[in-house]
Amino acid sequence: MTIDARELNELTRKATELMSETADVPRILRNRLGEQHQLAQAADEMLGSIESFVRELRCFDISSQSTGSGPFEGS
Amino acid sequence: MGVLDLCPVDVTNRNRLDFSLYIPEADFEHLIRILSEARSRATELAASIGARLGTDHRLAELANAASTRIENMLREVRTSALESPAAGGLAELQGALQNEVQPVTPSPANPPEQSPAGIDTMASFAAQAGLEPEHWVLMFVKDLISQLRASGGINFEMAERLLQQRKDDFLRDFLIARRMYRTYPRLFPELQGEVGPADRETIPQ
Repeated sequence: MTIDARELNELTRKATELMSETADVPRILRNRLGEQHQLAQAADEMLGSIESFVRELRCFDISSQSTGSGPFEGS
Repeated sequence: MGVLDLCPVDVTNRNRLDFSLYIPEADFEHLIRILSEARSRATELAASIGARLGTDHRLAELANAASTRIENMLREVRTSALESPAAGGLAELQGALQNEVQPVTPSPANPPEQSPAGIDTMASFAAQAGLEPEHWVLMFVKDLISQLRASGGINFEMAERLLQQRKDDFLRDFLIARRMYRTYPRLFPELQGEVGPADRETIPQ
């Protein structure tokens, strides 16, 4: 299956927006409930999961840029 | 540890009701709105990546993991909003959702674009079903049709997600409408005669 660099850039942009928009959730819960509250910790884990996804997507994006703008085989 | 090992987030047994600190109702609204939109975005991203790279691809697994985390977080926040004593009176919302009560809400500022034929069809459907144009069922049907047109197909999982999203929108609108009614009762003269003082927290159909 293939994906081109433009699509990947768009996906990366959307994922980065997602990460940015959800950053508020753990912050609010930490402020209201404290860092040790398990709901706040669950929110931290959620954000960590999104960050891992975005980080991986960015790495994938960078590798795709080096092959040019044409379609390439996904790893 | 594999990606999918991180997916199941069971916070149901956590001490979620230990609200030693106050969470205002507005914060719950804000959190639900953020998480609801995030879930839609994450689902869309996961579907896009899965369709292009395959569902077994690491990126697709990471996207699904993030989506699941968001889904669970949203569920937990919604439950907390309904059960928290700090939210005061939100139990009525649970009843409203279970009874499928439709609150009085304004039309969305930016409704999805539809062809005149589509609008006529929906208006006809609404009239036949005896529903108000703003009823959530109609919104849900519009969501289904939009999804079908965008992706060329639909499955039960997507339909469930869209329905859940509609429920979250309902919850958010309900909280906003109730807060407006409490804060500005004079703006709702048509409700003054129908709702007694003891029932002022209840949003009629």
